[in-house]
Amino acid sequence: MLKKIALEEAVGTELAHDITEISENGFKGPAFKKGHRVCDEDVCKLQKLGKNNLYLIDLADDEIHENEAAALLAESLAGAGVVFENTPSEGRINLHAAFDGLFTVNTAALAAFNMTDEVMCATRHTNTLVKKGDLVGGTRAIPLVMKRAPVERAGQVAAQSGGILSVRPLQQMNAGLIITGSEVYNGLIKDRFAPVLKEKIEALGSLVKEIIFVPDDADRIRDALTTHIAAGCDLILISGGMSVDPDDVTRKGIQMAGARDMHYSAAVLPGAMFMSACIGSVPVLGIPACALHHRATVLDLVLPRILAGQKVGKKELALMGHGGLCLNCTECGFPDCSFGLGC
Amino acid sequence: MDPFEVLLEQSAAVHGHLCAGQVVGVRMAMLGCRLIGLEDPTNREQIKKLIVFVEMDRCTADAVAYVTGVKLGRRSLKFMDYGIMAATFVNLETGKSFRVLSTEESRDLADSYAPEIEGKGARQVEAYKRMPECVLFRVQKVKVHLSEFDLPGPTRKKTECHRCGQVIRDNREAIIDGRPVCRPCTEQSYFSHAKEVTWSGMNRTPEPIGREKEDVPC
Repeated sequence: MLKKIALEEAVGTELAHDITEISENGFKGPAFKKGHRVCDEDVCKLQKLGKNNLYLIDLADDEIHENEAAALLAESLAGAGVVFENTPSEGRINLHAAFDGLFTVNTAALAAFNMTDEVMCATRHTNTLVKKGDLVGGTRAIPLVMKRAPVERAGQVAAQSGGILSVRPLQQMNAGLIITGSEVYNGLIKDRFAPVLKEKIEALGSLVKEIIFVPDDADRIRDALTTHIAAGCDLILISGGMSVDPDDVTRKGIQMAGARDMHYSAAVLPGAMFMSACIGSVPVLGIPACALHHRATVLDLVLPRILAGQKVGKKELALMGHGGLCLNCTECGFPDCSFGLGC
Repeated sequence: MDPFEVLLEQSAAVHGHLCAGQVVGVRMAMLGCRLIGLEDPTNREQIKKLIVFVEMDRCTADAVAYVTGVKLGRRSLKFMDYGIMAATFVNLETGKSFRVLSTEESRDLADSYAPEIEGKGARQVEAYKRMPECVLFRVQKVKVHLSEFDLPGPTRKKTECHRCGQVIRDNREAIIDGRPVCRPCTEQSYFSHAKEVTWSGMNRTPEPIGREKEDVPC
């Protein structure tokens, strides 16, 4: 319970909460920390900060202070790969990435958490790449003192599936590339796909184990897939032949190789003719030609998630629609733009 | 107690359709029974230990009644006309009582929990299956004041209405000027303008099958 006392009577008591200062020189932060014992010299400064009364706290058994609440919430929110220091400042605790990886948010659970009265958590977008130490979220309890039960319930909501916020390290995978197209295979034109795909894979810490070039022939495409899997590739990217022309037989070849969970189309532009499938446990990604012409495509949204161990199928590709529109800026700023956010 | 999906299918069949209220009701009942330590309430050993108060006459109420096996006629189901999506589960043996409330925010959160499901109703059904109990419900530990006249078992008291002579069971009479009066004789009745009627053929009995229907008064 909170009791209001006049400032001049507060000398000798401990501050119930941090007192924020916003100074003319741009400083914003705690002028006094919770627990500071008010002395005569403080009175003038507190008055300048607009404080003529202070709170005394007398917590009942069923009540909780904002700092303890924030710690409880942060503990519940932080899943694997997310850490925090239990040093609330102005009632807020920041959460950070414990290592490099893909930051994910259980967005439904986050919404449920924020629908709980008197608590909040704000985060980065889900499925974004982060570095060790990056700020990924912040949480606080709103009132200075609140009932313990709703905070504990919010903690339960936050702890869903092992914590709403998590960072998963990217696995180092051995990718096999298959470059389809009779025009490339027969040397009529030079391949430009392999260097693009190799660069994207290596930028995320994985390796390209082998590249196979095949003509537009479903049997040859099937054989190339089988060869890659036998060689131990745990990820296969296959380019070309993904559109609707009669010569586009890539999907047929993938099907013949025993693929399951095949899904053709993604709610992303560029990248609508993307295909995802699995052969055994090996993800197979069909890359449409847009990857040649655009710096960022559906592949840049999917690949980190695959490397982080996520399944990316029909549902995930459909949900990418919100934020899945590249604005084709004159100077591409990806990933520091809206492309891929919100999915 | 049967698994959730089995109970949901059976409850929906008894109720007449599968809907979001059925999902909430089945889960509410499963949680309530677990909280009071009666996890197999329709079992003969447990059936007499349970009383459930439902606070709404919606699909959820039917699901709660189905899963718990409580019945109005057995006095184990109490209807409190509050218009609140909540039910209270009472263990008569231990006195443990918990009130489980469906959260309002769960309705808004359905879009987040099942975004891929088309159609509001189907999305709610799926979302309410996915939500953890802490999102779907709030729970209160409560004390329930049951008089001996509220309990299952034989009628404990009969009184005659001082005004009309109607027999009133289980202490439900009003006391006016120190005398027992039945509810219809007070201002608190749900009906009015009661007038006794007769019709020809009102001496019929239920049998036999195939007998033509008699006229009944309009």
